[in-house]
Amino acid sequence: MGDRVSTDQPVIRLDHVSKIYPLPFGDVVALDDVSLDVERGDFIAVMGPSGSGKSTLLNLIGCLDVPTEGDLYIAGRNIRELSDDELTDLRRDTLGFIFQQFNLIPLLTVRENVEYPLVLKTRRRESKGLVEKLTRRVGLEEELLSHKPSELSGGQSQRVAIARALINEPEILLCDEPTGNLDTKTGTLIMELLEEVNQQGKTIIMVTHDPRIAGYAHRTINLVDGKIA
Amino acid sequence: MIFFEFAQRSIRLHWLRSLLAVLGIVIGVVAISSMGILGNSLVLSVGEALSDVGDTVVVYPHSGGFGGGPGVQTNDVITGRQVQQIERAVGANDVIPLHVGADRIKVGGEEGVAQVYGMETTDIPLLLEISEGVYLRGASGAMVGQALAETYDLDVGSRITVGDESLRVVGILAERGVGFDINPDQAVIVSDQWYTSVYGEEDYDQVIVKVRNLEDIEEVKNAIDATLNRRETVVDVFDTRMILETILETFSTISTFTTAIGGISLVVAGVSIFNVQMMSVTERTKEVGIIRSIGTRRREVMKMFLYEAFLLGFLGSAIGGILSFGGGYVALLIMLQDTAYLFAPSSLVYIPYGMLFGIGTSLVSGLYPAWKAANLNPIDALRYE
Ligand SMILES: Nc1ncnc2c1ncn2[C@@H]1O[C@H](COP(=O)(O)OP(=O)(O)OP(=O)(O)O)[C@@H](O)[C@H]1O
Ligand SMILES: [Mg+2]
Repeated sequence: MGDRVSTDQPVIRLDHVSKIYPLPFGDVVALDDVSLDVERGDFIAVMGPSGSGKSTLLNLIGCLDVPTEGDLYIAGRNIRELSDDELTDLRRDTLGFIFQQFNLIPLLTVRENVEYPLVLKTRRRESKGLVEKLTRRVGLEEELLSHKPSELSGGQSQRVAIARALINEPEILLCDEPTGNLDTKTGTLIMELLEEVNQQGKTIIMVTHDPRIAGYAHRTINLVDGKIA
Repeated sequence: MIFFEFAQRSIRLHWLRSLLAVLGIVIGVVAISSMGILGNSLVLSVGEALSDVGDTVVVYPHSGGFGGGPGVQTNDVITGRQVQQIERAVGANDVIPLHVGADRIKVGGEEGVAQVYGMETTDIPLLLEISEGVYLRGASGAMVGQALAETYDLDVGSRITVGDESLRVVGILAERGVGFDINPDQAVIVSDQWYTSVYGEEDYDQVIVKVRNLEDIEEVKNAIDATLNRRETVVDVFDTRMILETILETFSTISTFTTAIGGISLVVAGVSIFNVQMMSVTERTKEVGIIRSIGTRRREVMKMFLYEAFLLGFLGSAIGGILSFGGGYVALLIMLQDTAYLFAPSSLVYIPYGMLFGIGTSLVSGLYPAWKAANLNPIDALRYE
């Protein structure tokens, strides 16, 4: 990656971004002229009613989709100009994903799940105790490393997902309802973990319906009908 | 390699349907290999049965009407003058004129009928090999074919009555197999002199030209043709190599055809691999969405599914390759009653051949499903339940 980003540049920048889904009965404008700068180390909660475009926004920032109009910069790079492989590498190296359904890979053990993005990047198994270190950091018992994801509780699964999201030291964490499938007590523990990760320097964008969860963020963006309210 | 690991685990997780797909490939590979082995053994055994007479040009009197050719009995003959013409036409190559007939024979109390060849005694060593005794030299005396000797229990020194004449057996010929020129295994060989005096026939029934240099075959044929058939066709000229090649070619074609039929079962196996892989892709859509979203490239997803198809094909081909020995053995036993050619290199190559086809089929069948998986939209795939 040639053009290194200077630190005062926003790590995420949306410049009049729109996302339109063409449908037979008329186009759906999921995002409507959204502009947004996110500084390094920021923690943003995205709220809004169902269908307001929260997931669409997160997918765009997550390089899983490209804007219909406007420009989107991730770590200084305009994603419109990147190939599919480059977008994929950006997801692997610069972005970390945390999903409501945890989305662990069922065929792999906990350890393999955690090290998967690193193996993708370096093409070899992790050996320097990084997985153990991360496991401790997210508060997971080391014995669980050899288990399969199906043997974990929700809270444990989300901790594994967070460890997996962190292993390539990404600049940005994207969380879509990270506590949506957890009970209140476990949800609080996960939020405390995310808060800690944020304090260690990661930028976090988090979609949530829960104002209490949004309270962990530095600021909240409200989406209504694809627009920032 | 992590994608290989994925493939292995996916196969183990869905072991039953994987097993069925592997079974298909096993059957396909065994079918191709054993058909190939069978066909090749057929060619080999035919090639061996038709003794190696590739260097021979055979001249028969033209049979006039009914197509004639080897083995057809006609009243037409080749005259001594024509033989001289042939001798001049072929230069240094050996020309062997033959009388061919058949007569009653009697050995001790046993009677039968045998083919009788009459030829110059000096020509006999040029054409025939001996297994016991000596070559015929004098005017009287006879040599007998191996099979005839066995049937009538003949030894060197035995007496055999041909027609009404009694002859002493001086030599027994080595077995020669079916030939396009003469078939001496069941025959009696006598001297030209004896034949002419007993049967009163001066003219010849057949002329054999032994060509020293194989490249000259065509030239020799043309020379005879040009000399004797100038005005009208009086002789038919065959070269045994051509006949042999035509027959072997025919058998190879048959062999290729049967192998191709074996290939059909591989197509069926390919369809089953395709099915299994499509199922695998559909079932793992969500998983593909996950790994794509966290940074797995399209090509890597493709690799993961191709490995799976490859593993199924490899397993099937490996097992199929081993079972092909058995399959080939059984096919040979049933069709040829002889398994000697199973281990001929030209037979054995059909096993790696079949295996390559097995693996190839699996990869080709897995290509579209893998491509489909690689090109899933990650967002849609993630939402898939
Ligand atoms: N792939 C798609 N094709 C067509 N329309 C879509 C697609 N994805 C989203 N939409 C539409 O875009 C709009 C925004 O959807 P989005 O999923 O971003 O909402 P959301 O805010 O995440 O809702 P929720 O809170 O229910 O998850 C909705 O009207 C939705 O129907
Ligand atoms: Mg949503």
